[in-house]
Amino acid sequence: MRELLLVRYGEIFLKGLNRPYFLHALLDRVKNAVRDFHADVWMNDGRIFVSDADDLEGCAQRVCKVFGVHSVGFAVEMEKADFSAVCAQAVHMMEGLQGTFKVNSRRSDKKYPLDSPKINAEVGAAILRACPQLKVDLHTPMHTLNVEIRDHAYLYVRIVPAVGGMPVGTNGKAMLLLSGGIDSPVAGYMIAKRGVRISAVHFHSYPYTSDRAKEKVLDLARILSEYACGIRVYVVPFTEIQMQIHEKCPEDHTTLIMRRFMMRIAEACARREGAQALITGESIGQVASQTMEALQTTNAVVSLPVFRPLIGFDKADIIAISEKIGTYETSSLPYEDCCTVFTPRHPVTRPRMDRVERAESALDMDALIERAMEGIEIVET
Amino acid sequence: MREIYLDNSATTRPTEPVIQAVTACMETEWYNPSALYRPSMLVQKKMEEVRRLLLKAAGADGENCTFTSSGTEADNLALLGALRARRGGGRVLIFQSEHPAILSCIPEIERMGYTVETIAPDAVGAVDLDRLETQMRGDVAMIVVMQVNNETGTIQPLSEIARLRDRLCPEAHFHVDGVQGFLRVPFSLHALRADSYALSGHKIHALKGTGALIWRRNRKLTPQMLGGGQENGMRSGTENTCGILALGEAVRSYPQDAAETMMGLKKRLYEGIRARIPKSMLNGPEMDDTRCAPHILNLSLPPVRSQTMLFALEGDGIYVSAGSACASHKQKVSPVLLAMGRTSQEADCALRMSLCPFLSSDMMDETAQRMAAHYQLLSQYTRR
Repeated sequence: MRELLLVRYGEIFLKGLNRPYFLHALLDRVKNAVRDFHADVWMNDGRIFVSDADDLEGCAQRVCKVFGVHSVGFAVEMEKADFSAVCAQAVHMMEGLQGTFKVNSRRSDKKYPLDSPKINAEVGAAILRACPQLKVDLHTPMHTLNVEIRDHAYLYVRIVPAVGGMPVGTNGKAMLLLSGGIDSPVAGYMIAKRGVRISAVHFHSYPYTSDRAKEKVLDLARILSEYACGIRVYVVPFTEIQMQIHEKCPEDHTTLIMRRFMMRIAEACARREGAQALITGESIGQVASQTMEALQTTNAVVSLPVFRPLIGFDKADIIAISEKIGTYETSSLPYEDCCTVFTPRHPVTRPRMDRVERAESALDMDALIERAMEGIEIVET
Repeated sequence: MREIYLDNSATTRPTEPVIQAVTACMETEWYNPSALYRPSMLVQKKMEEVRRLLLKAAGADGENCTFTSSGTEADNLALLGALRARRGGGRVLIFQSEHPAILSCIPEIERMGYTVETIAPDAVGAVDLDRLETQMRGDVAMIVVMQVNNETGTIQPLSEIARLRDRLCPEAHFHVDGVQGFLRVPFSLHALRADSYALSGHKIHALKGTGALIWRRNRKLTPQMLGGGQENGMRSGTENTCGILALGEAVRSYPQDAAETMMGLKKRLYEGIRARIPKSMLNGPEMDDTRCAPHILNLSLPPVRSQTMLFALEGDGIYVSAGSACASHKQKVSPVLLAMGRTSQEADCALRMSLCPFLSSDMMDETAQRMAAHYQLLSQYTRR
């Protein structure tokens, strides 16, 4: 008998013939997540098991962050042949609890002498005999004892919900525009959760923005990395472009033109990286550059699809997710990022494409982008 | 690229004699000074030498000196310790732009039953004496003023304040926060008839984690740290002997002519910048003003924001501070500068350069040159 983690996956169940591909990716990600704990990780019979870890709690926390995992149960694995021992173990696990319970059993070993309803009844009866403080409630029990009869018997009460989603790397690759703010890490998280491998591009405007600001963004990438299995960050020198825009373009269009540069450079990085889409943290109407018209003008300079998972989210909803995933505190550090350096007093909110293009025509676009691309620093997180 | 460190009000580089003193202490003088055997006794003797040295340097021979872990702790001990030891309430007057080590004690002081009033600054950031006079009456329990304003480098009119105290509220405890002044600006506890004086080691080339409170024998303090009764019961916890010996060495080896040296450097830097950037604005007293501290120069270079200039200079290996380093991560516009009549935009462009006696004139020239070069570019590209 030993304690182990019984890892359950979610949406992969919906997959058909290609399910093994997703499962193997998931197994790989779980192994990677717990590599510091020297655990045994294996897959059997539709479940992933993690055993013999240095620290099972710590292991569970990591596994709960792996996209594709639905929940983690703290299970006891034991021989299934002696059913009275299984009942005794069930009693042992329940005797400290109060209130109502039910037994939920599964039998994937169809040759086992007792079927699931029978197991439920027998184990439940044993618990009732030994624990008079407990009552049965089959509909809304306070505690559920899960009994799974597979190659062994697995019993567990405590289940920790995990993040869900799909294993990272099973759904292609995308390039995240990562500022130091609250929204973009959340956007990256949401797309990574769908199994997409993420790289990020960050625009650095030294000396208007500091090394601390850059380090903050890399810290955000590191936090996201825990979910997204590593993020490569392209740090793009952006000062010259911002200065040129500031000098040569009408003030109310500067933010928009800057955003267009960011999109173009992000797309160039995406192509270099082999990414098939861009990700931004934009949400309709949040700021001047995120009105419907503004989004249209920034979208127009790229041909890759642009994913905006936060498009319909309120700020409060975005903050709630950023708190949950652990990026909020870092995002809230007060180091200025390049977006706010030259913010115009009255940015245009309903830009017209022809005016934007005319305003931009004063700039030597290709040369500016080429120089920015040449100065890129790549940081693996 | 050589480094030009102009943030000596934030902390200072330990000097060679200090490093040697620390090393020697760690190798051979690491014994617990409270133990009974000979090596401990020798350490204790050395520690007592440092105590006498500090008292002498602060013009306080024969008074008490309690070693602490920082200037902050020394300030806390003076304020909370003295007010707790006193019976009855009363008013406590605190200069408006004191360091957080002082200001953060206010809620606690109010909980003890005292009323706290702030002392307003004048146009150069010094105590407004006329207004202070109206605040001083017999019920004042304590007056707290910093020796040198950490942002503007204004020397406070301590002897005038002491005279007002003597005339209007002779019982009041007069505490001076000397963290930014000790050794750099002359001070004598006896001459001023001040009651306590806080200092910090790492601002004078000693180590972080060391400070001291110098205080009059006839005053009572309640200890703020309880335990083994070290420092005459006033500050429990095994003494930081290496830090204390380093502090002694820092005082001993501090150049005699530091103030003149730094004043010369400060003038050179100021004139160098002023000549190249006519739009620069001095935040603080003029160079010939007696209230002008020799080691702190605060300038606004509008329209270039202080942090932009700071990062640009960082690229040249020149380290300065935007406003006060202790508060600069909060990114608030300095209330001291606003009180001095600067607009919030001008205050947002304030740079603080703080000097030490080990800098050279050509470092000042290079700083002014680099600053002017950045100014020329950056002033064209600012938020409109």
